Amino acid sequence: MTPEEREALVAAVTTAHRERGARGEIRGHRAYYDLDDAGRVEAFDETARQRALEAALDAQGLSSTARAILARIR
Amino acid sequence: MIDLDVHLDAIRLGDVAAFGRFVAGAERGVRESLRSFAAQVDCEAVVQETFLRAWQLAPRLEADGRPNTLLRFAVRVARNLAISEARRARAKGVDPATFDEVPEISPSAPPDPILRRAIEECRDKLPQRPSQALAARIETGGAEPDEALAARLGMRTNTFLQNFSRARKLLGECLESKGVAL
Repeated sequence: MTPEEREALVAAVTTAHRERGARGEIRGHRAYYDLDDAGRVEAFDETARQRALEAALDAQGLSSTARAILARIR
Repeated sequence: MIDLDVHLDAIRLGDVAAFGRFVAGAERGVRESLRSFAAQVDCEAVVQETFLRAWQLAPRLEADGRPNTLLRFAVRVARNLAISEARRARAKGVDPATFDEVPEISPSAPPDPILRRAIEECRDKLPQRPSQALAARIETGGAEPDEALAARLGMRTNTFLQNFSRARKLLGECLESKGVAL
């Protein structure tokens, strides 16, 4: 895997979009399973930073994760 | 100290806006509590599932007289989901000690207008394509996959991801130059 491919996988995992499984459960992102352990931890940390940024920009402090959750229960 | 249980009565009555205020204050803590599982499970999926369960189970939750009952409950749910998922996936080397370590977590403070201004100033300096990729992610709130966002912007998915990564990098450098760490 090239550094560019790895970076693209990490970026892909940072989205708040997740598919639902057959039983309605929220599934892990496909790109997550293509990363090694270090890449997965990097994706976790990058996601945390991204959510902090999104929450800071939102008047109600909602990140894209929060908005995805609220969309599911509305 | 911030006590997110101020929203609990309204949440029990089905008030989605009150639950949104709870999630805004609780998300960071719940996510941080999962860091030791990051190599074994996709924690974003666990975080989302956790809050859906918190919403469903909040009406039956009894406050124990200490602050942040619902936040502590959510952390417990998150860690149980992560352990279950790690076992289901037969992840290698799940450290049993991890199971018992429930970290101390605290709610997030409300949005800081000074921080927001700093981020917006840095966003304004981004080149067009990275700025578009970042905006697409933020504005859609996880409602659509990157393939759809990329198509709307006339980019291939890989180009979209490269632009998003570039935006994050440039934004990080700009914020660092302002002494802001996220």
